[in-house]
Amino acid sequence: MNAENRLTAPSVPMRGPTPVSGKPSKLKKLLHKDGTWAFLLLLPNILGFLAFTLIPVFASFALSFTAWDMLSPMQWVGLSNYTQLANDETFIKVFWNTIYFAGVSVPAGIVISLFLAVALDQNIRFKKFYRAAFFLPVVSSMVAVAVVWQFIYNPEYGMMNFFLDKIGIRGPDWLTSTVWAMPAVIITSVWKNLGFNMLIYLAGLQGISEDYYEAADIDGARWHQKFLFITVPLLSPTTFFVTVMSFISSFQVFDTVFLMTQGGPARSTSVIVHYLYENAFKYFSMGYASAMAYILFFMVLVITLIQFWRQQKWGIH
Amino acid sequence: MRMSRMLVIVMLFSLISAACSSTTTNNTVNTPSNTPDSGKKIVTLDFMGWEASPLETESVKKGLALFMEQNPNIKVNYQPVPGAQYAQKLLTMLAGNAAPDVFFLGATEYRSFQERDVLLDLTAQFELDMSLSDFIDSSAEIMNIDGNIYGVSSCTVSPVLYYNKDVFDKENISYPPSDPAKAWTWDEFREAAKKLTVKEGDKITQYGAFGLENFYMTSAEILSNGGSLFNADGTKMAINTPEANEVMQSILDLRVKDEVSPTAKTLESVGMKANQMLQTGKVAMVVDGSWALQELATMDFPVGVAALPSFQKSTTHGQAHVHSASKNTEHPEEAWKLLKFLSSEEYQIGLINEGLWMPNRRSLYTEEGIKKWYNEAVHPEGFKEMVMFFAEAEAYPFTLITENKVIDIINEETDKLWYAGQSVDDTLANIETRSNVELAK
Repeated sequence: MNAENRLTAPSVPMRGPTPVSGKPSKLKKLLHKDGTWAFLLLLPNILGFLAFTLIPVFASFALSFTAWDMLSPMQWVGLSNYTQLANDETFIKVFWNTIYFAGVSVPAGIVISLFLAVALDQNIRFKKFYRAAFFLPVVSSMVAVAVVWQFIYNPEYGMMNFFLDKIGIRGPDWLTSTVWAMPAVIITSVWKNLGFNMLIYLAGLQGISEDYYEAADIDGARWHQKFLFITVPLLSPTTFFVTVMSFISSFQVFDTVFLMTQGGPARSTSVIVHYLYENAFKYFSMGYASAMAYILFFMVLVITLIQFWRQQKWGIH
Repeated sequence: MRMSRMLVIVMLFSLISAACSSTTTNNTVNTPSNTPDSGKKIVTLDFMGWEASPLETESVKKGLALFMEQNPNIKVNYQPVPGAQYAQKLLTMLAGNAAPDVFFLGATEYRSFQERDVLLDLTAQFELDMSLSDFIDSSAEIMNIDGNIYGVSSCTVSPVLYYNKDVFDKENISYPPSDPAKAWTWDEFREAAKKLTVKEGDKITQYGAFGLENFYMTSAEILSNGGSLFNADGTKMAINTPEANEVMQSILDLRVKDEVSPTAKTLESVGMKANQMLQTGKVAMVVDGSWALQELATMDFPVGVAALPSFQKSTTHGQAHVHSASKNTEHPEEAWKLLKFLSSEEYQIGLINEGLWMPNRRSLYTEEGIKKWYNEAVHPEGFKEMVMFFAEAEAYPFTLITENKVIDIINEETDKLWYAGQSVDDTLANIETRSNVELAK
């Protein structure tokens, strides 16, 4: 970056002793610093970050102690939004739905993408094609994905129940069943995000030296021993990263739910962000919605801290 | 380093103040051009609506062209936006002081927006130019908030019963009557639905009826059984009654016990709409909103329209969006002119004769009035006998309350009834207790 700057912006002199002609003004001195230029070039981004991220984050924290519908004057209500949340049956339901969603989709997503990555790291034919194929859902529009999966889940004409029927299982009414709607959403979500985790695992696998496997071969290790005692431990930093990221994104899941089920039937797939959205933009309870956002923030924080703590305990660096 | 920090701060401030000042200058530039100070100046009204259907948007534009011809000093700038999340968008615009001068407003949102004090009080002009008694009862009741008017509607729509005549002819069953006085009783409807259901092996290839498991429709049948949703002043839920219970149980039995009705979400999820099921003869009768006639009439099959099956009395409910003006509009007079035009016979007839709307003005329900909009190509045989079904409809109950969380609670609990085996007793009890908590807030 710096090198490029120097090429394209010849007015910026190189570091080191500059030919001094008299006493340079303070402004001139300032302009001669690389840091200043970095700052100036980053400024548009910083401003955007301030206006659209940092300030709203603090504003919504303040909002969470108020009752506000965007039009009437704000009212300070102290902790009442939080106490109300604790007694809100619907919130408790969507809270557990969120835990359910994350608790199933994160481990499932990690295990499957790890196996995929290991499989696609072998020397098989059309390796690149498979990699692209598994990555395709990640870059597909969620709207399109949701429509397709709604067809797949259709109990009468859908592919899912067609195949289940072939192996003698009568499939449920996926998206209209209060029991099966959440698993259906989880399956779609795992499928959609598989490619991303797979890609990160593939990168992780490239970083493992062949020497370990050769040594293991000499020691007579079987394939599953190599996998368990070499691949998995050496991928720990990757797994750590993938786990944290997956938990954060699955706590914040919204589009999948909103597009496939609108939280239904009977709120069986409604998650915190969905209920938050409803409160903010349907019921216009901005304060209440902000309080929910902070509960979510603390959930993410706790999960992340637990993972950091475990990471240190295991001595992974 | 301290200097660089200073510089950043200075630049930040200058940027922010530049942004602010640019908006203020914009405002001051705009204002004079909009104020009719010389009398000849053209006033621009921003008008926002949702895209309900291409036909509706087309008709609105046609109507506005006529309005601008009649009022050369007013220019209407129409911006249709997607219907989903319309209320959110409007509220955000109002909060940001960027609201259009005149806008569509859903009847179920009307009272909650008025409560937030963002609508222009139209009472004085309304009383000068028209009267509540010009409108059918349901429309008048919706528009009237404690004697004041904040929005004027252009039409009404109601749930009705559609049927495919071919299917009835094939099974040799007489059509459901369109005259509300002769409407089928629930038992007659149920018997017909049973006869119209065809099974091949264990697969049902033709269903008798569909559509009532949607609370918009369900509520019309509750009213028909003499039940109610809320108490008289809309402060409490009053749905846990034997009347509502009977209706919900009957509708559930139609699908679960008699097996003459498909599940709603199953068919919706393959993208098959109720009117397509009717067109293809997969379902013989469909309960849907009266607006569906516009599309059904173009679908090239013999469609019939009838009064809803009746429990105790033959009735339906009616409602339609209102047109309102922003309280902060700079042109209240011009806004009223537009609102008045939008509720005129002249304007509504164009959409009524396409089948999308029904009139909200009494004058269009007289024999003379019906002639102005009746369209043989759209309105099926016997439709004239049915018009009073719309004129005498009760106001849709949800338009009379301000808490929009209630409908979500009802949908959630009825989902449990339709799809998860919750009993009718529990459903109604849950709706009542949970909604009353919200209504008491």
